[in-house]
Amino acid sequence: MPSIDVREISKKFGNLQAVDKVSFTVEPGEIFGLLGPNGAGKTTSLRIILDIFKPDSGTISVLDGPMSEEKKNLIGYLPEERGLYQEMQLDRCLIYLATLKGLTESEARSRVNDYLVRFDLLDARKKKVKELSKGMQQKAQLITTLVHEPQIVIIDEPFSALDPVNTQMVKDILLEWRAKGTAIVMCTHQMHNAEELCDRLALINRGRVVLYGALHEIQHQFARDAIVVESSQDLPDGLPGVTSVQKHNGSKLLTLAKGVKTEDILRTLLERNIPLEKFEIAMPTLDEIFIQVVKESGGEE
Amino acid sequence: MKKFLLVFAYEYKRHVLRKRFIFAILSMPLMVGFVIGLSYLTVRLNENPSPIGYVDPYHIIDNPQQVPPSPTSTSPAVRVINYDTENAAKDALAAGDIQAYYVLSQNYMNSGEATMVSGPNAGNNASTDFGDFLRYNLVSGLPQVDATRLINGNNLIVRSLDGAREMNANNWISIVLPLLSGVLFFIAVNITGGYLLQAVVEEKENRTMEILVTSISPTQLMAGKITGDLMVGLTELVVWIMFAIVGLSIAPKFLPIDQTINIDPGYMVLLLVTFLPAFIAVAGFMGAIGSMVTEMREAQQLAGLFTLPLVVPYWFVTSIMFNPNGPVALGMSMFPFTAPIALPMRAIFTTLPFWQVAISISLLWALAIFSLWFAGRVFRLGMLQYGKRLSLRDAFNRG
Repeated sequence: MPSIDVREISKKFGNLQAVDKVSFTVEPGEIFGLLGPNGAGKTTSLRIILDIFKPDSGTISVLDGPMSEEKKNLIGYLPEERGLYQEMQLDRCLIYLATLKGLTESEARSRVNDYLVRFDLLDARKKKVKELSKGMQQKAQLITTLVHEPQIVIIDEPFSALDPVNTQMVKDILLEWRAKGTAIVMCTHQMHNAEELCDRLALINRGRVVLYGALHEIQHQFARDAIVVESSQDLPDGLPGVTSVQKHNGSKLLTLAKGVKTEDILRTLLERNIPLEKFEIAMPTLDEIFIQVVKESGGEE
Repeated sequence: MKKFLLVFAYEYKRHVLRKRFIFAILSMPLMVGFVIGLSYLTVRLNENPSPIGYVDPYHIIDNPQQVPPSPTSTSPAVRVINYDTENAAKDALAAGDIQAYYVLSQNYMNSGEATMVSGPNAGNNASTDFGDFLRYNLVSGLPQVDATRLINGNNLIVRSLDGAREMNANNWISIVLPLLSGVLFFIAVNITGGYLLQAVVEEKENRTMEILVTSISPTQLMAGKITGDLMVGLTELVVWIMFAIVGLSIAPKFLPIDQTINIDPGYMVLLLVTFLPAFIAVAGFMGAIGSMVTEMREAQQLAGLFTLPLVVPYWFVTSIMFNPNGPVALGMSMFPFTAPIALPMRAIFTTLPFWQVAISISLLWALAIFSLWFAGRVFRLGMLQYGKRLSLRDAFNRG
């Protein structure tokens, strides 16, 4: 049973069709990427799932049924626009927001304390939120998202404005929560991060889903007839079945003629005693797929 | 319900536990106390406790007696000394034994004519105290009841035809207090509304709103905020009323207030049923404005549209006072934005027909309910519009 089942949702703001018949499911224990250029309709889709906006049409099932006040306690949300009470003491702010997620005050206090220790924020707990650095505030926001042990985590642009250390920390946490069986929806336009973390994804452009499926399947679907070869010596010219050789991140990208199999090229290279350090099918990056699909579906807004 | 209480408690505590709130709540009674104290001091500084002399060459007053001290008087009665001749009085004035002296004319009983001769330090109290002395001695031969009645003077009582209400010319505090309660209400509404406005705009500005609405329903959130801030306003009102009660109970010890403060309980009920929906309505509109706009300054400008009409009845106070059943008074007491002040104000000066009260209060409640509905709707539509103000048209048209 999927944790989130979105079917044909549409939403219009004035004349703008923000979301147009979007459908996807998110399973427990997976990181689902909701990708797309700026203004594609990702955040609106998330807000519809979270019942902040009502869809004009379509249905949403969250944890086997429509969204309810009780289910809000089972969802952790990290919005793109981060926000905490700036004038409040950090621990009081986190405890208040945790109690709004259904924890008792003593539970909230104890769990917030554990997270403050884990995120190295314990010394800052009595400081006002506005006195914390941006990175510390990001970590505090993440505590708010996770402290009530949600079954669904929805995070919108989790890596924006994070330094590499904190980016890695967020990645580790997401992987840890995926391992626990939590359904994670990650909304981002940073394709390399999505490629690293997502199991499945939906690419939205102009409010429509233009690509949907498991990451490796999508990559295979977009794989060109090409291989990446790395060798300590130059490749000979005029290899049979190869139409062009290009430099590719320190390796060589060999484009194959129609009908030529990769095994044929491998055999040829071995027969010619060319030392191989790397030989792999050239998979397109998510960035490349993204650009190609967005261009094909009519560009950005 | 539990989350509503959490928001309510959070809103209430975040204001009440701040130093700024304690300062605000104390500053009003302290300011009033300061003004009253200053006035009292000014009066007392212009009084002179030295004796007053008088010359009565035509023996108008037989067997003069000092006026016994009044239980309501704050300053001791000034002693009045009789001099046989004007020269003797003049000498006493020159020697500083007395602050002034009076010479009663032969025709005093018909004309009330007396000549006052005062030194440089004569107090403002000299004429009053000597007047009291004359009145006391002139009626001393009469039966006690008549004497007291004559000294107290006239007291005009206006009574309604059905006898349900009356107004006493000497009991001016009973008229002033309701007027003051309107002012207090206006201040409390402004402060409460300001808090609510600030709370919503801040949560929009600091982006906490999105976290909140994924934890609690917008209705519960708004209801918690409005009730929390209402309680802050009521706390202020209660504290001020307590200060007023304490002040009025100790004031007669220091101020010349010789009247019982008599407020009609029915009037208090009218105040309550008028102020409560008005409070809710203003709070609702403040919440809506907070949700519509993007920054505090803009919010404050819009807020004036809802709070300024409340004070309009004070601009027309003379018209309402002299013609409480006229079209201006009637119209203002029916129009929900002016009714909270106009209706109780009319009730001071006239007996309101039940149907007028019923319509006015019903309209106020309707406005209160509309404002909550409107606040909820605008809140839902406007809360996540960070850079752009929600237009009224959108508020009504968008789903």
